[in-house]
Amino acid sequence: MSERLELAKRALRAAEGDETLALVHHERSGMARFASSEVHQPTLIENDVVEIQVVRDGRLGVASSNRTDDEGLKTLAARAAEAADSAPPDGDFPGLAPPADPPAVEGFDEETAALTPEEQARLAQAAIDASELDLYGFFTSGVVELALATSTGIADSQAMTDVAVLALAAVDGASGYAERTGWKLGDVDPAAASVEAVEKAKLTRGAVELEPGSYPAVLEPPAFAELLAYFSYDAFGALGLIEERSYAADKLGKQVFDERFSLADDALDAHGLPKSFDFEGTPKQRVPLVEDGVLAGVVWDRATAARAGDGHRSTGHAPPSSLRHWGPLPFALSVAPGDAGSAEELAERVGDGIYVTRLHYLSIVDPREGIITGMTRDGTFRIRGGKIADPLVNLRFTVRVPELLAELHGLTREPMLVNQSAYYDDRYATALLSPAVATARFDVTGVGSGPGV
Amino acid sequence: MRELCEHAVAAALGAGASYADARVVIRRSQVVGTRNQRVERLDDTETEGIGVRVLVGGAWGFACDRRLDNAGAQAAAEKACAFAKAARGGSGRKLAPIEPARGEFRTAFERDSFAVPVADKVDLCLRAEQALQHDDVKVTSASVRAQREHKVFVSSEGVSTEQEVVECGGGIDAMAARDGITQIRSYPSAHGGSSSQAGWEFVDALGLEREAPRVGEQAAALLRADPCPSGITTVVIDDEQVALQVHESVGHPTELDRVYGTEAAYAGTSFLKPEDIGSLRYGSEHMNVTADSTTAGGLGTFGFDDEGVPAGRQPVVREGILSGFLTSRETAARIGSGSGGSMRADNWSRMPLVRMTNLHLEPGEGSLEELIGGVDQGVFLQTNKSWSIDDKRLNFQFGTQIAWEIRDGKLGRMLRDATYTGQTPVFWGSLDGVAGPETWELHGLTNCGKGQPGQHAHVSHGASPARFRNVQVGFDQ
Repeated sequence: MSERLELAKRALRAAEGDETLALVHHERSGMARFASSEVHQPTLIENDVVEIQVVRDGRLGVASSNRTDDEGLKTLAARAAEAADSAPPDGDFPGLAPPADPPAVEGFDEETAALTPEEQARLAQAAIDASELDLYGFFTSGVVELALATSTGIADSQAMTDVAVLALAAVDGASGYAERTGWKLGDVDPAAASVEAVEKAKLTRGAVELEPGSYPAVLEPPAFAELLAYFSYDAFGALGLIEERSYAADKLGKQVFDERFSLADDALDAHGLPKSFDFEGTPKQRVPLVEDGVLAGVVWDRATAARAGDGHRSTGHAPPSSLRHWGPLPFALSVAPGDAGSAEELAERVGDGIYVTRLHYLSIVDPREGIITGMTRDGTFRIRGGKIADPLVNLRFTVRVPELLAELHGLTREPMLVNQSAYYDDRYATALLSPAVATARFDVTGVGSGPGV
Repeated sequence: MRELCEHAVAAALGAGASYADARVVIRRSQVVGTRNQRVERLDDTETEGIGVRVLVGGAWGFACDRRLDNAGAQAAAEKACAFAKAARGGSGRKLAPIEPARGEFRTAFERDSFAVPVADKVDLCLRAEQALQHDDVKVTSASVRAQREHKVFVSSEGVSTEQEVVECGGGIDAMAARDGITQIRSYPSAHGGSSSQAGWEFVDALGLEREAPRVGEQAAALLRADPCPSGITTVVIDDEQVALQVHESVGHPTELDRVYGTEAAYAGTSFLKPEDIGSLRYGSEHMNVTADSTTAGGLGTFGFDDEGVPAGRQPVVREGILSGFLTSRETAARIGSGSGGSMRADNWSRMPLVRMTNLHLEPGEGSLEELIGGVDQGVFLQTNKSWSIDDKRLNFQFGTQIAWEIRDGKLGRMLRDATYTGQTPVFWGSLDGVAGPETWELHGLTNCGKGQPGQHAHVSHGASPARFRNVQVGFDQ
């Protein structure tokens, strides 16, 4: 039994209620963030957070602390109990999850887990040294363990590693972006990301403006992944469905997207960042969300499944307590690949349009309609005659994602694992498997600043 | 706690640091949230630890440890130094001078938020939610929050401070849906309500239950409102949305670390250059923006920032001209003026960054009605719904929850789905009126993100309603 599962069991023994849960979230991570080719913001973290949930008469109280001594756990349990006692009884509370065998998944790499602060600094330097231009970004690696024990009999833990490098090669008037993400250090080459970013940046000098309008477009995996992630938080979670505020509200089972587009949430896939169980202890399941353009389903946790009734069960997508108001979330999206050999081949299919590397500062304008606005950055180009041509300034787009997905010219064969972690709060790395996509419609509504710093 | 910090600083100096500081933070946070008349969140979070920042050979190191004992302090100091030694040295990093000082700061408050029974907080949320009810309202929600942070800071340059900051806040939302349309109204602000550095008297004064019927009715009425027409027109913007406009298009671009590119890979940089100070026309003569870490009730209020620099007040834009940046000791030394004072870290496990404190649009004169009275045809925009701005903080697009047509100086029909867009200096250049001090309100945000790993900052903005001419509302394709 792992040290953290022992701690979870010790915390569970301190808790008193009709049902109780203890969750330990361990993190040991390092991030070497750099700008102008110098590390300026390093952060080395080691922490253990214990969360206790106490259920009394269907009333759930939650408390957390990073004090792990007996006195700390006792105080923590008392705070969780006080919270539970302060709520009115809730007859619809579904109860804590029953015990189940979580699936065995990959996602832990000894070499990654063993990286020292000095090695993390050197790996950041490897990215910097490979860049002819000033480099901005980070190298980060971490090991996280979730250990969960409940009075219903769950006693599970999963240790997972993650590693990522983000490279923005930039000077005045030019910038290019590349990234690598994985759970094995061996899959992430900081220097290669750096070189790719430099090559992209060189193409962005002399960027020109573009008239607003609707354009066919190729979105590289980082751009497509971020757009899908924002769309999915509302569209593919059960809470939005139940509350009639998501795009999926009246469309399940309907052909709403191009038949080339299929999407699942699959935390079990070793090509992603595998997860075995969710924050309620329910085993993770692969959930088809879109199959051949037909809206196939959404993800569920115990509360939404109980509320919907009708045979729904949790699919293992309960978020951390701090995000409970979002409802269940698809944190491991995976887009089915297509038949194109490369993004350049997609540009040939587009003929005349635009090419987008990366997006910036997305915001949901209308969740029901799936309208999202944001900017392009660090590699936006015109496509002319099927070739990537003149560089463009950063473009404001305001798109209806369902329209963008309604007519596709294709997707690439090889999906890329795109980092979705901004590393706020306790580390729980997520990423999205996405190919590049060519769409018939990408709505440009304005122009912004040029590339570069 | 002070001894622990001193131990960490000594350990860092012993390990080769030329500069070191240590922060011990103990923070307790509580969130009570209800949704559709059920308790959704009853969370009580406590976290503690020590963060140690060092300079070794010109390279920064930062490490933290949750253990508040000598072993934890020592480990954090040694790890920070080990990293800095392995990183290649910086290009002669310098810090602006600081006076050795000891000081204390405590938030003034009347009623301890943590002494208010959780059951009373639940009851308040449920009562407010009940008052939001309306036939077309499908989702009601209410939340209140409280936080207390005890922080001790010691640096190798003789600064030693102790601060206790408390804050609380709350908000309500009503989401209406009908015939495939959804609309939302919030009070007092969108995205989690508003917070203040204060005791529970702040939440009491919000009047969540009192305001709820109007909020629910407006959410339902929006379902039948016409979409806001597109075009170039005059807009009058309420103080809450002006606060966010200040945050995104003045606050972030004037953070000097962004100007120097250190946020380039994530949050972005700035359209401003260091040499723009004193000459760049940011907006019209009606535009006066002040950074003030001494504002009573402000979430960015403190005695000392996270480098130990004392709080202060400085103009950022004066009569439309850029007149100051938000700085750290390092960026202040680099630009050759100022002394820092805007360095803030999200808890003990994060390195401080240049952050907004309290950034205000100073009031002008007159009332909201007078601003509207000066508009022949335009739109009144209220309460943020969506927000996006480019990586240099130039092109922005905001959406608001509700709008009203203005005709001949009077408010007309209600409008839904309003957005407006612009380029920062052009937009602020079109400012032709800010309402007076009696309309000026402080808005506290708790969701400002920056840095990698990500950090949340709590900041406040004082603002009055303001009027802008020739603004693109919606978009024409």
